[in-house]
Amino acid sequence: MENLFAITGKGYVIVAADTTSARSIVKMKVDEDKIKVLSPHLLMAYSGEPGDTIQFSEYVERNIRLFQIRNTYPLGPSAAASWIRRSLAESLRSRKPYAVNLLLGGYDTNKHEPHLFWVDYLGTMTEVPFAAHGYGSYFVLSLLDRYHNPEASLEEGLATLKRCIAEVTKRVVVSPGQYKVKVVDKDGAREIEI
Amino acid sequence: MEAISRAGTVLGVLAKDGVVLAAEKKVTGKLLDLSGAKEGGYGGSGEKIYLLNSNIIGGVAGITSDANSLVNYARSAAQRHLLTYNEDIPVELLAQRLCDMKQGYTQYGGLRPFGVSLLYAGYDPHYQFQLYHSDPSGNYSGWKATCIGANNGTAQSLLKQEYKDDLEVKDAIGLVLRTMSKTMDSTTLGSEKLEFAVLTLDPTTKEPKAKIYRPAEIDALLESEGLAKKDEDTAKRSA
Amino acid sequence: MSIMEYNGGSVIAMVGKDCVAIASDLRLGNQALGISSNFQKIFPVTDRIYVGLPGLATDVTTLRERFRYRVNMYTIKEEREIEPETFAHLVSSTLYEHRFGPYFIEPVMAGLSKTPSGGLKPFIAATDLIGCLNFAKDFVVAGTASSKLYGVAEGLWEPGLEPEDLFETISQTILNAVDRDAYSGWGCIVHVITKDKVVSRTLKGRMD
Repeated sequence: MENLFAITGKGYVIVAADTTSARSIVKMKVDEDKIKVLSPHLLMAYSGEPGDTIQFSEYVERNIRLFQIRNTYPLGPSAAASWIRRSLAESLRSRKPYAVNLLLGGYDTNKHEPHLFWVDYLGTMTEVPFAAHGYGSYFVLSLLDRYHNPEASLEEGLATLKRCIAEVTKRVVVSPGQYKVKVVDKDGAREIEI
Repeated sequence: MEAISRAGTVLGVLAKDGVVLAAEKKVTGKLLDLSGAKEGGYGGSGEKIYLLNSNIIGGVAGITSDANSLVNYARSAAQRHLLTYNEDIPVELLAQRLCDMKQGYTQYGGLRPFGVSLLYAGYDPHYQFQLYHSDPSGNYSGWKATCIGANNGTAQSLLKQEYKDDLEVKDAIGLVLRTMSKTMDSTTLGSEKLEFAVLTLDPTTKEPKAKIYRPAEIDALLESEGLAKKDEDTAKRSA
Repeated sequence: MSIMEYNGGSVIAMVGKDCVAIASDLRLGNQALGISSNFQKIFPVTDRIYVGLPGLATDVTTLRERFRYRVNMYTIKEEREIEPETFAHLVSSTLYEHRFGPYFIEPVMAGLSKTPSGGLKPFIAATDLIGCLNFAKDFVVAGTASSKLYGVAEGLWEPGLEPEDLFETISQTILNAVDRDAYSGWGCIVHVITKDKVVSRTLKGRMD
């Protein structure tokens, strides 16, 4: 089962996604990257209906890029999130809605603060200090209620993330083995090995 | 173009903590009903200076009916941006939106272009305070201080002489009014011939705050700047 | 499972003496799972009107953006702020446009309307999800805790409450009603609108 996690800390957002791509009970791929870098300071982790995820994430990626080319500067995290949410909300009332859940982590280079948005396939969006999608969320959210610290350094944030992944690996029946982790802060988005 | 060079002057000056717009009104007379300008609305008599969005004010010169339709278009475009991105439209983007439309009318036959030049004074987090100018062909450019309408050449050269970098809003207000009084056909300034607006940041919320002056406020401002028109009666009495 | 109960959330509005109050909880959930404890459902429309949008959370955001668009266009073209009665009909018509594929929201509005003599009169109203207006003289409720809100409000509300007493009444009503509802809670926010100011207070609630 797919899992997405994200936590904010002092000046950064960590976004993590499992790397398995499964069809029914079969693992088809174990090194899938489900976190797109939409702009220099914006990350999007996605999960949901295979096909929809690729189609929708690429649609978003190209549109955000188009905005950056046209206007020289990229959309800020909350403007990008609002546009993406609107796309999902409009798709929901179409003939074939996209079934895609998202976590959007970004760093606002104007106000110098990190932002994390939880977005589901209905177009529900809320800004949160930490977020999760998938069966892992039932374990991880309560864990983060206890251990999340908005003032934590990147090292402490990564340590908290590792506890989350360990908990999910231990307690969820069908849990993915590997995770890809990306961070966005004032220096931009990058991948981190854990 | 001809209509614009005859239209009332609109003058804009960019300061480091705000933008100032002033405009000369041509449609005047004691029979003109200005009761609407005294209260209600956003201030101003709605001839030359308009609020385009909470962060942008516009000044127009040219065919008034064309200008009204462009102002309407700008306001819709700004609200559409707010609807899609949940943030105020950046100033340059709004100027681009209008220019895209204005350019369209220069390319296709059958229709005439909009006979309007605009000044856009605005604020956004990308480039802070900005001042843009657009002409009927759909060209636009950013300025520190500029002028459109009648006598714009004179005003431009005056501005070029007097403009200093690191200008503050209160200096910019003085500069605008002084330049205005020198370029206008009439010798004296007064609220019946002048529209005036300032865009600054609200000190508490840090949000852009547009203020279009009401006639009474303009007179008070002119008074404090020492540019108010002399009351003829007092002039006579003192003589 | 009903769509109206998918995300949870409740709103109530009450009339006082020359003032009105509107309050909501702050929970956003996915059925029983809580996602956010700071999900605003009440939004300012003008300085004197607030609207609460309980229901499906995606439509909370969509409608909030649409109402803001329509009110801004109204304000800029009319060159005056919208009156609560006019806004109520704007809400109603926006919802009825989607009569056969509705937004799953039951809006609650509270505001002060101008009287011909220049005074201000309290105004509250609510609609169902297709825009049927309900103008009330005492209080209106909506959301997953609406049945409980009716009960508590019926017991606590009385006519002619002063702003501070109205704040106490609406706060006790919503706090106690959402404690009996699994889908609402996680803190509340209360706005009291009087003629010269709006007082907004966030209340701590049970986090279970």
